[in-house]
Amino acid sequence: MDARWSSPDIPPALVALVDRLRRGEAAALARCLSLVEQGGAHADAIGRLIGAASGRAIVVGFTGPPGAGKSTLIDAFVGHVRAGGRTVAVAAVDPSSPISGGSVLGDRIRMQRHTEDPGVFIRSIASRGHVGGLTETIHRVLDLMGASGRDLIVLETVGAGQSEVEIAEAADVCVVVNAPGLGDEVQALKAGILEIADILVVNKADLPSARRTADQLRAMLTLRADARDTPVIETIATSGAGVAALAAAVEARAELPAEQKRARRLRRVRRLIAQAAGRAIRDRILGLDDPRSDAALEAALEGRCGVAEAAERVLRLLAYPAPPAPAGAPSPVTGRPDAPPGERSPPPSCPSVIPPYGK
Amino acid sequence: MSREAVQLSLPGFDRDFAEWRAAYAGQIGAERPVVNRSGVEIKPLYTPRDWDGSAYDADLGFPGQYPFTRGIYPTMHRGRTWSQRQLVGLGTPADYNARVRKLLAAGATAISFLPCNSGFRGLDCDEVDPLLLGTCGTVSNTVDDMDAALDGVPLGRISTAMNDPSPFTLLAFTLGVARRRGIPWERVSGTSNQSDYLSHFVANHMFYRLSLPGSRRVLTDHVAFCLERLPNWNPVSVVGQHMQQAGATPAETVGLTFSTALQYAQDCVARGIDIDVLLRRFTFFFDISISFFEEIAKFRAARRVWARLARERLGAKNPNSWRFKFHGQTSGVDLTRQQPLNNIARVATQAIAGIFSGLQSMHTDAYDEAAATPTEESARIAVATQTILREEAHLCDVIDPLAGSWYVETLTDQMEAEILSVIARIDAAGGMYKAAESGLVQGMIGESALRWQERIERGEEKVVGVNCHQAEDEEGQGKSTERPDLDRMRAHVARFRAFKESRSRTAVEGALAALARAADDEDDNVFARVVEAAEAGVTHGEIVTCLRKELGFGRPLVVA
Amino acid sequence: MTTAPRLDPPARVLVTKIGLDGHDRGSRIVAAFLRDAGMDVIYTPPWQSIAAVVKLATEEDVDAIGVSSLATDHLIVPQLVAALREAGLAHVGVVVGGIVPADEQPALVAAGVGAIFGPGASRDAIVAGVAALAADARAARDAELREQTP
Repeated sequence: MDARWSSPDIPPALVALVDRLRRGEAAALARCLSLVEQGGAHADAIGRLIGAASGRAIVVGFTGPPGAGKSTLIDAFVGHVRAGGRTVAVAAVDPSSPISGGSVLGDRIRMQRHTEDPGVFIRSIASRGHVGGLTETIHRVLDLMGASGRDLIVLETVGAGQSEVEIAEAADVCVVVNAPGLGDEVQALKAGILEIADILVVNKADLPSARRTADQLRAMLTLRADARDTPVIETIATSGAGVAALAAAVEARAELPAEQKRARRLRRVRRLIAQAAGRAIRDRILGLDDPRSDAALEAALEGRCGVAEAAERVLRLLAYPAPPAPAGAPSPVTGRPDAPPGERSPPPSCPSVIPPYGK
Repeated sequence: MSREAVQLSLPGFDRDFAEWRAAYAGQIGAERPVVNRSGVEIKPLYTPRDWDGSAYDADLGFPGQYPFTRGIYPTMHRGRTWSQRQLVGLGTPADYNARVRKLLAAGATAISFLPCNSGFRGLDCDEVDPLLLGTCGTVSNTVDDMDAALDGVPLGRISTAMNDPSPFTLLAFTLGVARRRGIPWERVSGTSNQSDYLSHFVANHMFYRLSLPGSRRVLTDHVAFCLERLPNWNPVSVVGQHMQQAGATPAETVGLTFSTALQYAQDCVARGIDIDVLLRRFTFFFDISISFFEEIAKFRAARRVWARLARERLGAKNPNSWRFKFHGQTSGVDLTRQQPLNNIARVATQAIAGIFSGLQSMHTDAYDEAAATPTEESARIAVATQTILREEAHLCDVIDPLAGSWYVETLTDQMEAEILSVIARIDAAGGMYKAAESGLVQGMIGESALRWQERIERGEEKVVGVNCHQAEDEEGQGKSTERPDLDRMRAHVARFRAFKESRSRTAVEGALAALARAADDEDDNVFARVVEAAEAGVTHGEIVTCLRKELGFGRPLVVA
Repeated sequence: MTTAPRLDPPARVLVTKIGLDGHDRGSRIVAAFLRDAGMDVIYTPPWQSIAAVVKLATEEDVDAIGVSSLATDHLIVPQLVAALREAGLAHVGVVVGGIVPADEQPALVAAGVGAIFGPGASRDAIVAGVAALAADARAARDAELREQTP
């Protein structure tokens, strides 16, 4: 007998439910997803019954700013996958109202093509109200969907706030969707989600400024080491144009060996950390209250050194802060910030610039 | 009229006014601002300081004169009152015919045709659960059906308003009937009442069948066909009613409707249609809410704005093109399920506002509309309400009777400003087509609807029997709802199926192939092929399905 | 405001329209009300088929379904309730909002509709009614896990 069944504290009804899930029954999957969202003993028990194995499913993450047409694009993408005979599960994360905590989960209704297709399972997830946090819930949701035998899982999030973290961690392939005419769309991408893209999509490519948006994205990609294997694909979700190319690109990345996929996830997380670190350092430099930095600023102002060199000097100050001055004592600062670091106090433990990712 | 004549100069005006204001403030105490549905703040008193008449010539003029604020014809209701046009539609074509014959016998001079909801969805009667057939309109899928529905109706002499969205199959069937009866198409008169696909798309999806680009194409083809072949037919009715019913404020409604009208006019001009030939045949269709003065100011402002848009922006030269002709329907949204007989008072109030607004045609709602499909009795009272107001109340003795009221003129100016700001917003979004495509308009309407509902929930807007003066519910009263006879409906569906079997397969396939080709060929006229298909025995559902395949299915845009 | 119990996680409610009618003002406003009362609302555009509603209710594991009907679509709501039972969703509360003539209400109630809200129903009444049905559904679901044997 399978060791999983032997847990004496798991109600038999729950064991039966998970069994039905493993056979692919939609109602059982849906029910288990609710229990997992609810947290508590049932959620833990389901976790133990399912184990870590999440089936053979490929997880494809879609994110991007609101209005980029993500849901419509997913609708077309899923249609393409279904035409190839494979089954799909979609987890669509919608933001909750910050006031009431309630939400209108509207993403799935833009996926009207599959309203009666049993090969497509769609679940809407409100971004708030999760025991253990959204990221925790997302992982469990993907595990359950995988365990139910779906071939491909789509994870959709709105590219705002923290959602890029979930996608970067959880997805085998990250698709970042953008569209022309969203105002400061490229700025929005700079602020986060571009970092996690394995594939960039310019949706609504029939709009006149689509080409310009694609060019801007390519230009921004050149700043990245892996720019060459990050394709920029133009799609028109409403007509299906470009969807086959997108599917092929997803396929190419999904077929990578496991260790390469893991390396890819690590790279994504590294870029996210780098970006968060950049923000944190910027904030700390702007708020730096250390007379030693003035020398560096003055040097840059008077042209005695370049801005990059001054930045290096200020960074060193951040890494080796002056020891707290005893009250009333004169400042120990020498005014020579470029003194060798060995003469300073030892570096502090890891600065708190890394956001608390994941589990 | 000279400016001097309307300018008042009362001795001591300022002193007396200040005295009144102090007395008012002292007696009224703390007062919440009064704001109308369009967001205009309403003062307790208006004086010549608010409106001094100095712009009389430019803004008002006289009835029949530009900018038509006081009326689009010199005689208005003194010369000819509005047409009473009640919406009718229920059951099978035979059921409709029985109801319409009664109306004609009672003196009606115009009729309307409301198809079954299955028809609105683009479906034939054999594709739908029979329980839903004919409950809100008449099942009519073929020329035969229309022939039965209009049996004994003098088609060449009576105006018919067809609630007939794109691709206008009801008109096609009607033309088929006219040919059978030897009536020249030139004599067929009436209106394509639901041609305004943009309003369907943004407001309620009720009549929305084809994709936006497909609807755009078919509408311009329909207009071109009608202007060429049916000189007495109005191919475009721009509908504000749907948007106001969906929650747009009265001012928003007019602004959005005019933006829609501008879009259609520009699309037709781009197709080579002369603007003056086109606008002569434009009509409008609006809701009349119970916000009495606001509605009157809305319609007066609308006449002025449309005249200026048509002349200055669209460059129409013929004064006929500048006239804002409208059909008004009393607003069903204001009616309550609670204490339903109270609705008779509401409808009468709305109707008076409509008459003072100078409408050309009117439908009054039945008092039981908020609870059920109207019965014959409630429909009779609705018609009688109009008749009483026209015959007994002397409302038609004076043209534009509220003109010159400092309040009404001020409010007319303020409503005009609101309307213009909505038009400017839509202009900035690239016009109505783009604004609808992007969801901007749906968002505006949804916000207004929610704001209004919250005003009611908070008790800031009073609705008798709903949030104040509630009474023991008198609803129901054991009355049974009229539904079409299910056996007769099933028999109709069986006949319809038999008809489809009996048709010439080659004629049907040929007509559908021609329709598909026309959809693909910008130089062909899709509506001309719809009419040919109808005459070849192609059904409503088949025509819509073919065009959906060629031009795209109309799906609701969801704005949550 | 309402005294109905708040569920944790929030009640999941489907707001939809079946049949032929396209008027969605009411369903949009009710969706906003329920959201503002802290519920997770899954909202659909009009014209859903009964099969699509059952599939959606299954996948989203909803606690209640609100059907808006302004043009006689309520006549097929009993078919929806039967289809939900067939799919093992008998516990899901079904609410009808809109225009349902008084003489046709008993048939809906007999079919298993939990509440009917006509024009003029207040926000509080709607929220409380839906919340109560959702709480019942959640409780019935939780009981299943205790009672069911493998």
